[in-house]
Amino acid sequence: MVWAAEGNYQLGQGFKLADWLTVGGYISTEYKKSDDHEEFVVDDLAFLAYGEFGDSSSFMLELESVDAFEFDFDRHESRTNLPPAIERLYFDHGFSDHISVRVGKQITPIGYWNLQPINVLRETTSNPRYSREMFPKFLTGVDIYGYTTFDDNLTYHIYMQSTGDLDDAYININIDIDKHYGFSANKQFSGGWEAGGSLGRFEKDGDFSTRYLQLNARRVTGAYTFVIEAISSLKKGPGQLADRRSNAAYIQGEYRYKPRHSIISRLEYRDDGNSTNRERIAILGYSFRPVYPVSLKLEYQWHTLSDDNQLQASFSVLF
Amino acid sequence: MKCWLLILLILFSQSTLSADFAVIVSATSGIDVLSSERIRDIFLKKRRFAQGKRLVPVNLLGSKPPRLAFERRILEMDRLNLQQYWTASHFKGVTPPATQASLASVKLFIEKVDGAIGYLPIEMVDDRVKVIYEF
Repeated sequence: MVWAAEGNYQLGQGFKLADWLTVGGYISTEYKKSDDHEEFVVDDLAFLAYGEFGDSSSFMLELESVDAFEFDFDRHESRTNLPPAIERLYFDHGFSDHISVRVGKQITPIGYWNLQPINVLRETTSNPRYSREMFPKFLTGVDIYGYTTFDDNLTYHIYMQSTGDLDDAYININIDIDKHYGFSANKQFSGGWEAGGSLGRFEKDGDFSTRYLQLNARRVTGAYTFVIEAISSLKKGPGQLADRRSNAAYIQGEYRYKPRHSIISRLEYRDDGNSTNRERIAILGYSFRPVYPVSLKLEYQWHTLSDDNQLQASFSVLF
Repeated sequence: MKCWLLILLILFSQSTLSADFAVIVSATSGIDVLSSERIRDIFLKKRRFAQGKRLVPVNLLGSKPPRLAFERRILEMDRLNLQQYWTASHFKGVTPPATQASLASVKLFIEKVDGAIGYLPIEMVDDRVKVIYEF
């Protein structure tokens, strides 16, 4: 039988070496300038390898050099960090569309932003504080997921971690945890709408535990994309009498006025339970994609709480 | 005159309503019918099973009319949307369906590969394959 491929390599879709192995990667560079700081960063330099084997099994490996190169314009100093960390390493097996199991280090299946975290797939250079500071971005454990049997448009995840991170050189917000349990669901509606939420708990033995409730909704219609995500958490530390509540949310709108050009605006809110630490951030951005896997972005941020107003620009490629 | 106009209108509406292409599986497959939404999910690799059977979607290579019609009528996506979708899928570790260079090889693939699903012009359908959806 004659086999033909779309081409062994397509930009943004990796290089298919064999049926069981596709390799690729991504790179992103960022420039940031505020009143008191200016820097250039090669933020991500990552390698991907994945494939399918057997009837319904697959694997994924992602190695990443985080902040591979930094240049500080104020101090005229540069820094490199090339040794890669394991960002993802997991095995997947699908028993049916209703039950699949993923074991290993993976992205925590919470909301929309967290599942598409790399620069080239986003429409802004920056990530909202919602996604950076409120829950562990990665899970080293088991995720059982699929479509529910009673609703064709409803998906679920039941995820659990009962160990430290596989490679804690790459975790967010210094939430170095050793337990995490949660449940999330997402439902597709007509008219381009979808909505869902997550409920979970993570802890560091003998240090703290945090419970969270997260909600998300998105509408994609023609040239417009609208996303809102919010999370509220209760953190309990050792010897602490009362739980400390934190909240974060963002709302983002994108207008793709030409197939390769978008205008983006985002409003963010974050508080850590302290009335003096309630920050609001407004962002206005522009995104240009000469081809979809190549992204050029520019944004300006206004911060209410700090003198951190800044310009950010980035160039990123998925290959 | 009115009678002739009515006959012409009926003939015209029938010709526009009739399907040009068929989604097919092998004649021995246990699958008899699938909804367009389910076929869409299978070709976007959001779902991998139907009626307990693991499916293997196969696309026609390039931009030939059957593939463009399938993308427009079943996937309801243009090439830019598809490039966006498969780029995001690459990060998730999912590749697009396998392709075959000609309609004859698509048909042969479906006959020979267990669980294969693809599409052909209606006139190429015979008793070696089974139609599960027309578009």
